[in-house]
Amino acid sequence: MLLCLGLNHRTTPIELRERLAFAESKQPEAAQQIKGLPGFEESTVISTCNRVEIFTSCDHNNPEQGLAVLHDYLVNHFQLNPAQREALTTYKLSHADAARHLFRVVSGLDSMVLGETEIFGQVKAAYNVALKAGATGRTLNKLFQRAFSVGKQVRNGTNIQRGSTSVGSVAVDLAEKIFDLRQCRVLLIGAGEMSRTCAQSLLSRGAKSIFISNRSYDRAVELAKEMGGQALRFDEWEGALHDADIIISSTSAPHFVVKPELIEPVMRKRHGHSLLIIDIAVPRDVDPRVNEISEVYLYDVDALQAIADEGRRERERALALCEEIIEEQLRKFGYQEDSASGAALQREEDDNPVLPLTPRNS
Amino acid sequence: MELTRLLLILSTVAFMAGVVHAIAALRAGRWQENKWQFLPMAVGFAFQCAFLYLRGEMHARCPLTSQFEVFIFIGWCIVLLYFLVGATYRLSLLGLFTAPLIAILQTLALFMPDNPGSVKHVKMSVWEHLHAPLAMIAYAAFALACITGVMFLLQDHLLKKHRIHALFRQLPPIHHLSRAIMRMVALGVLLLAVAMMSTFKIHLPISTVKMTISWSILGLYTVILLLMWRHTLSARHTAWLSVLGFFVPFLSLWVVIGR
Repeated sequence: MLLCLGLNHRTTPIELRERLAFAESKQPEAAQQIKGLPGFEESTVISTCNRVEIFTSCDHNNPEQGLAVLHDYLVNHFQLNPAQREALTTYKLSHADAARHLFRVVSGLDSMVLGETEIFGQVKAAYNVALKAGATGRTLNKLFQRAFSVGKQVRNGTNIQRGSTSVGSVAVDLAEKIFDLRQCRVLLIGAGEMSRTCAQSLLSRGAKSIFISNRSYDRAVELAKEMGGQALRFDEWEGALHDADIIISSTSAPHFVVKPELIEPVMRKRHGHSLLIIDIAVPRDVDPRVNEISEVYLYDVDALQAIADEGRRERERALALCEEIIEEQLRKFGYQEDSASGAALQREEDDNPVLPLTPRNS
Repeated sequence: MELTRLLLILSTVAFMAGVVHAIAALRAGRWQENKWQFLPMAVGFAFQCAFLYLRGEMHARCPLTSQFEVFIFIGWCIVLLYFLVGATYRLSLLGLFTAPLIAILQTLALFMPDNPGSVKHVKMSVWEHLHAPLAMIAYAAFALACITGVMFLLQDHLLKKHRIHALFRQLPPIHHLSRAIMRMVALGVLLLAVAMMSTFKIHLPISTVKMTISWSILGLYTVILLLMWRHTLSARHTAWLSVLGFFVPFLSLWVVIGR
């Protein structure tokens, strides 16, 4: 019988999630320990920043009994105090619901950012750890292999990972449509939180270098150190415009800081080299007329947010098709239709925490 | 119906089918860059090859004996270059923009007078055999530069107007397009230069109008290439040049081939 006990960003606050996270080096041992529990045959432990899940195969007749054993293991393993035990909310799934949940997780449907792709690699890594530790067997091997193939099918056959859903990723997508990011130099004017996130997204995707200019030079130096960039005094940033490909502006100035009169001569000297300006400040730092200059692409925070919102909507529209694929794959995998809502997680506090399930091939 | 004409119609239908499928897939958000996108282009190309082979056999030379054949030959060269460029620069969406041009060229050709039996067999040197095909491949390169220019301008427009939808995501980055335009123009200039140099070795008479137009086109594109190389103009302006510039060789076909 297939069981899944888990908690994620929706069920459990971060303070408790971090308490319950299995360190990477401890995962093989944990998988072995669970496999060694009475009645358990196989196990895989998935532990990421947003979720901790245990998938097992056991010979318990009653799923509730097996899930209670897993719950106790979690409580004892992390030595939770009574308050933490009280706060611990998990979902308990068996048979088709456990399989469906894994398919949804691998496809990014259960992630904080719908359709994100990182989880696929994380689940694969967790499965490989359990496989190498000898904690998996026929049931889990088949289940995880199928889950990876479902994940690929969902990603390739739908728009679930299309579009960007955060301001940072929109900025990266735009930059990639204009430049070769590896050759890109970023100029950060002002050091607000969102501009920092944008700059970090660009750097993580390979941007070549970053200049940081802030009214407080000490803050610029601090940030430059953190990001591996170069700090500029606030009266020096205009001189750096010639070298920058992407400008991220987020000063607290009440008036426009970047005007067409400033950009036009810069563009003449750039010999047709494009310039992307991301204005995150409110009130805006960049005069909208700057966008009328050839080869200059200006996006303010509203424009970025609108694109991110559209990306989210597009992913949500794709959700129904993803669920259809998963249900079809579940049937092919040998599970009958069972729960009324395939996507619903059954929580501990529910009246009926474990659904009655009927695997066709068990 | 004559076999060659049937092949031409089938080829045109394949290109049109490719366009319809691509537009439908883009609208539904299902477009994906993969080898299947090449299929309609490959089928259309195969029919073009068959057509040109039969005509080449008939004339015992490269089938460039009439405006009708020249249009098909240029279309064939464009698809050939598309296969090379599309694969190299990951511009498979280029097919969406290339296929309509080929379909238009071939549809125009279908309405042109075609009398292959009237072609006189003339003994030709290697240079005479090479001149016209090289010039036509150069024209095809300019056509692809034009199409890539259209893609650049479209992407530039979408970026400026913040229209971030399916087409924006499928179009290549503008720096890729900019480079592809320059390489296509450079290839065209090189091939046309060789074709024009070969005229010094040709003994058959060539009309002055034809020579003047051909040298002018070479001059025009050499200037465009130099402007691109020296970054004298913005990438947007060079894209416009590649688009508008193509009207000159395209319109000249009516003058040049008639002589």
